[in-house]
Amino acid sequence: MTAVWTLLTQLLRRCRGGLIAMTIGLFAFEFIQPVAIDAFGNLDQLISIMDLVPKPFLALMNVTPEVVEQVGLPGFLALGFTHPVYHLLVSAVIIWIAARSLAGEMESGQVQVALARPVSRRQFYLARVLAVTLIAFWVSTVAALGNIVGIAYSKPDGTMDTWHFVPQIGASLLLALTIGGVALLVSSRADRMGQAVGWTAGFLIVSYVIDYFATLWAFLKPIQPFSVFDYYDPPVALAHGTIPGTNALVLGGIAALCTIAGYAIFERRDLPN
Amino acid sequence: MSERLLPMGGARKCYAQGMNDAGAGPAIATAGLTKSYSGVDALSDLSLTVERGSIYGFLGPNGAGKTTTIRLLMGFIEPTRGRAQMFGRDTWRDGVQARSHVGYLVQSEALFPELSGEDQLRFAEKLSGRGAPLQDRLLDVLELSRADLKRKLKTYSKGMRQKLALIAAAQHDPELLMLDEPTDGLDPLIQRAFESHLLDRHAAGRTIFMSSHDLGEVDRLCQTVAIVRAGRLVQEATIQALRSQHRRRAEVVLSTPLPPGVAIPGAEVLSAEGRMLKLLVDLDPNPLLGFLAELPVESITIAPPSLSDIFAEYYVQESARP
Repeated sequence: MTAVWTLLTQLLRRCRGGLIAMTIGLFAFEFIQPVAIDAFGNLDQLISIMDLVPKPFLALMNVTPEVVEQVGLPGFLALGFTHPVYHLLVSAVIIWIAARSLAGEMESGQVQVALARPVSRRQFYLARVLAVTLIAFWVSTVAALGNIVGIAYSKPDGTMDTWHFVPQIGASLLLALTIGGVALLVSSRADRMGQAVGWTAGFLIVSYVIDYFATLWAFLKPIQPFSVFDYYDPPVALAHGTIPGTNALVLGGIAALCTIAGYAIFERRDLPN
Repeated sequence: MSERLLPMGGARKCYAQGMNDAGAGPAIATAGLTKSYSGVDALSDLSLTVERGSIYGFLGPNGAGKTTTIRLLMGFIEPTRGRAQMFGRDTWRDGVQARSHVGYLVQSEALFPELSGEDQLRFAEKLSGRGAPLQDRLLDVLELSRADLKRKLKTYSKGMRQKLALIAAAQHDPELLMLDEPTDGLDPLIQRAFESHLLDRHAAGRTIFMSSHDLGEVDRLCQTVAIVRAGRLVQEATIQALRSQHRRRAEVVLSTPLPPGVAIPGAEVLSAEGRMLKLLVDLDPNPLLGFLAELPVESITIAPPSLSDIFAEYYVQESARP
């Protein structure tokens, strides 16, 4: 475990600049959500405005006005966790850490610094998995904290149980781990960081597009379960304080399977020149 | 299979019997080691043995298979056929154990630019698990200061990065040093100082396996060399044996020029300008000496072939083969 710890701490240290910047960005983005909600005065005004917003625009945020109206403030706060900017920030940091630490190090030859020593590929890969897990937990928690601090600052209309942010952290973590699992799988096969980033981003974009159009067009509903975003439901987490079992099972399963498959590939592959 | 290759698990058995903690067997042994990419052999059927405590030079032009061999030995790539062992341990199946007594020189471009020199050395030290008993000495030999180590690598020159890579590879005093172009980018004085350090480690019983385009350096350091070409081993011998197998160079100054068209026995004429003859002498020098005894010779110099002469001759011969 000493080698894994050494690899993990060194990796986090090298990424700290980017992580700090991303943390500030994510915190600020989530902080302004309750502040923006409060700016409308009360929830009824906001609901009446939402009724005017075209459905395709709301679908971008993966919510329906009905759900938002039903659950009140938690529904509006959930917009901050389904917004494309949120997905962009979280995906960017997770893909960056996974792709840089695996495919990027293979591309630059930095992988040899560790693997020329009595360090197994299993230890090397495990350190990357732990880094992705820690950062996924960190970004999920920072986003929730941003929202909590924003609520405390702006005191928007409506009620919100602060403990419901715990399942929201869990839901965000599961989605981030799924993205991380896919990124690790692709990175373990790729020779270059650009390949890993491209393929993982492609997977997420396709997944997002499926979810988006399936929300708008009924005939695409049957393929919606093929999108990972179908299993990510912040309104439920924030309003009811739960994560649906199916969501946890599917996202957790994809994350675990991709991570294990990535290890199987990395363990046997030739390192690129 | 090479007779020096141990069976699987052999190293562990010898270790249990109280042998050197670096395990049993030679420092490096390969048998039929082959690596193919898309059906094309980058390395073909390489069998060699590097004895413990030796300095072994691994030579060849670019693309000859040197780097592929080193990457196979380090467990970075899987052999297509054959086996490689370090200290009796298979480099692919038992790579962690095989590498536990090795110091490998990574390319200086592969170090982490965002970390300081100090952080890189600490990282290398922690992963090697053997401390850094030679760090101070290497800093001294390579003229890298503690103040330099505080700086981030992205501020280093090429030579400084190479020095740092050398320290990271050798600071834990490994049983086997695996060096690919070790003095690339170093100035001649530092290069000589590092060569002295290597000779010192050799005297302490360490094994050094090095690949270098600087044949003078190989000549000064190595006892045994292997020459590879197009993925195949073309020669493995001690430098002394190689010298005895190759033609010497001679410079003869005569009192009067040799008449044109005169055949010189026992030598190939490289050049004949005025009274000066430059010759490549056959392994048996007697026919030439007999011929020269009949001529008014002012001076004669016969030098043993340098490693670059030998190396060049191999490539001429090999290139001439159909």
